[in-house]
Amino acid sequence: MTEAQEELLSELRETHGYKTQTEVVMDALESLAGRSSASFGSKLSHGVEPHEREEVMRKVIATASKVDEIIDKHGKNDSQLIQILLEIQREYNWLPKEALLWLSERLGVSINRIYQIATFYKAFSLVPRGRHLVRVCMGTACHVRGSMTLSDRASQLLNIDPGETTKDMRFSFETVNCLGCCALGPVIVIDGEYHSKPSTPELEKLLNECA
Amino acid sequence: MAKRIGSLDDMEQLRKRIVSGIDPNKTMVTICGGTGCQAYGSDKVFQAFTEEVKRQGVDVEVGVKATGCHGFCERGVVIVILPEEICYLRVRVEDVPEIVSETLVQHKVIERLTYEDPQTGEKSVKESDIPFYKHQSRIVFGKNRFIDPKSIDDYIAIGGYEALAKALCQMTPEQVMDEVKKANIRGRGGGGFPAAVKWQTTRSSPSDVKYVIVNCDEGDPGAYMDRSLMEGNPHSVLEGLTIGAYAIGAHKGFVYVRQEYPLATENTICAIEKAEEYGFLGKNIMNSGFDFTVEVERGAGAFVSGESSALMSAIEGRVGEPRPKYIRTSVSGIWGKPSNLNNVETWANVPLVISKGADWYTSIGTEGSKGTKIFSLVGKVNNTGLVEVPMGTTLREIIYDIGGGILNGKKFKAVQTGGPSGGCIPEQFLDKPVDFDELSKVGAMMGSGGMIVMDEDNCMVDVARYFVNFLSDESCGKCVPCREGLRHYHKILERIVSGEGRESDIELLQDLSDVIKDASLCALGQTAPNPVLTTIQYFRDEYEAHIKERRCPAKVCKDLISFYIEPDKCKACMICLRNCPVGAISGDKGLIHVIDQGKCTKCGTCLDLCPTRFNAVTKLSGEPVPPPPLKREVTREKGSEQ
Ligand SMILES: Cc1cc2nc3c(=O)[nH]c(=O)nc-3n(C[C@H](O)[C@H](O)[C@H](O)COP(=O)(O)O)c2cc1C
Ligand code: FES
Repeated sequence: MTEAQEELLSELRETHGYKTQTEVVMDALESLAGRSSASFGSKLSHGVEPHEREEVMRKVIATASKVDEIIDKHGKNDSQLIQILLEIQREYNWLPKEALLWLSERLGVSINRIYQIATFYKAFSLVPRGRHLVRVCMGTACHVRGSMTLSDRASQLLNIDPGETTKDMRFSFETVNCLGCCALGPVIVIDGEYHSKPSTPELEKLLNECA
Repeated sequence: MAKRIGSLDDMEQLRKRIVSGIDPNKTMVTICGGTGCQAYGSDKVFQAFTEEVKRQGVDVEVGVKATGCHGFCERGVVIVILPEEICYLRVRVEDVPEIVSETLVQHKVIERLTYEDPQTGEKSVKESDIPFYKHQSRIVFGKNRFIDPKSIDDYIAIGGYEALAKALCQMTPEQVMDEVKKANIRGRGGGGFPAAVKWQTTRSSPSDVKYVIVNCDEGDPGAYMDRSLMEGNPHSVLEGLTIGAYAIGAHKGFVYVRQEYPLATENTICAIEKAEEYGFLGKNIMNSGFDFTVEVERGAGAFVSGESSALMSAIEGRVGEPRPKYIRTSVSGIWGKPSNLNNVETWANVPLVISKGADWYTSIGTEGSKGTKIFSLVGKVNNTGLVEVPMGTTLREIIYDIGGGILNGKKFKAVQTGGPSGGCIPEQFLDKPVDFDELSKVGAMMGSGGMIVMDEDNCMVDVARYFVNFLSDESCGKCVPCREGLRHYHKILERIVSGEGRESDIELLQDLSDVIKDASLCALGQTAPNPVLTTIQYFRDEYEAHIKERRCPAKVCKDLISFYIEPDKCKACMICLRNCPVGAISGDKGLIHVIDQGKCTKCGTCLDLCPTRFNAVTKLSGEPVPPPPLKREVTREKGSEQ
């Protein structure tokens, strides 16, 4: 922090009774969000116990600075919106709301447009995903070799439907259209590892290996 | 820092220098690093080779190289040992020490790893003798196997960037355009639109700023040619793109890569950097005064974004939805500027035309379709993988001579080409030559190169439902005929496969098809009826069996089948019983197993796991499941299997 910033901070602390730097930034964030239609601030403070507030704030600020970093890399230009979102998705494995609101502010694009993109493309998830990602290919080549059965089995073993995440956040399960290794179908990909046509016991073993 | 190449002479010298550094007799192990082989662990095989060569202290100088996809993905990991061209298939890490000590040191062939014909049992040692490769002509795709995709020198060594040098140093943009026109390259992305016509439109559209784009969105499920080219030989695509940009007068290019292909993105970015170092991209390329830069854009997963106007809005950072094309994208594309989009494979053909000439190029192929086409030959065929053949090769040659026929000796039923826009072609058309025009005559299309073979165990109604499901999922929803039409298609087909079909449903599907075809905004909707109409046309009996008899002839549709254990074949081995995920099988040691039809979820685990020597589990459709046998004890004859 520069001297001027330090000074400003201590001034704010005195006048507003802030205790920490986090709170200052947080308040600024909330007032920013107050201007946009989405309820950024209320969402964040809603249901949050006072003693958790600082923890939540820290997280939000960390997210915001990560988003800034990503924006800097791609350029502050709305034509980069999809590329930036892809990178946020890669960073967090989903798109946290505060990241999208912050991005909306920084790029000066409406939050609606961001949600339009985030819901249109398959790469994005608006809910947190599990530690392990299980994907079954539903492409044509895999389909004719029985990917439906494979996906049903995975669904049964995981006890969730495609597109869902287990309660313990251990697995997310998705179906995808072609992973580009059609010669091996039906294909299941667990955390980036491709498996060709596993039997039910084999599949069970593979899933059990995921902590 | 590499030296910038400023002229044809420079280029030739560079190539000579690179080639002179390569000893043609040096043993070189090339390991396929394509997606298929990677799934089989080619990275580990590569590492094992590097370590093993060191460990065994091999005296002969041996090089190890990870290359792009060789095409024979079914038999991965594929390795070829040069210069002898010994081809080993299904190589695993455990095989590596033996290959090093036997083949690399003593030049002995390891029979076990060579190709064996499934029918005749005949062995082939050399790559070019293997039937899968022998019947191909791999003028575009074949370069993959000599190149480490991250090495520009590898590409230059086999004549890479010579076409660019020729175009920029010896030809005017008009001459390049003429050559491409004469070669009559047609778009490989599916439509078959003549590239030169599109280029000319963009060229003559008045604007200072123009763009050229590579379409590597490859949304067609079951096809992965573009992936393998872009991953395995990115320079050939960039070279074609640069030549095209020169002819068109564009100074900025984009490569749009789908999100599922991270390696293609990585290799393209690496190739762009390397090309810039040599001055094949950037300012004043080869002192010709021509400037050109390329950027990689990642897709985010949407089939419809592969459509030209949709792809361009995605590049602008907006949702990738198509727009009506009263004005073509070649006139008004990205940010309203004239933009020329071509498929990966189309661009990769351009350097060939320039370096070898249109006359050579047009000597390959048929009257209306010149050159070769790469297909992703997959599904129920013995040799699955990527194959490149001259246009006009028949389906039979591709499926039987190259593909080695149908898996497990089953009966051929249909081949699906053209992805969700294409159709299912039955046996009677197997002798049709494959090109842009012939397959359209039977209601299908050649498409971008997916070729999915189906056998008697595939249900054609299920296939139609599959494509409709895919398309209604992927429809952007902007226009009503596509969005609602596909939804109703889906409803009707769901009804049929679950045994609730009505007699009038087939006609209803046909009527609906006319509307969807005529009134949809983009080609996604306009071609969506093809899979439905071709399956009705050629496999109407299957639709009728579902509707009238509640029977699925191929025994695929879950609601119409039951799993059944034949009592006289069951040896009460407990395997299915233990593994049934829902505990639907009763029985015991010595007691014949019986499936509780009420509990059964039809997952097929019992059928998969029943030992082939018993073969006791079968599927029934259109007939009642026989009641459990009265006598449950297994009678063991003397000497019978335990
Ligand atoms: C729904 C839809 C999806 C498409 N997807 C692709 C694709 O993934 N790759 C491709 O090259 N062309 C695709 N196309 C075709 C493109 O619109 C365009 O015609 C093509 O990229 C032009 O290149 P070409 O003339 O070299 O074939 C698609 C078209 C539609 C309507
Ligand atoms: S169809 Fe499954 S990987 Fe292509």
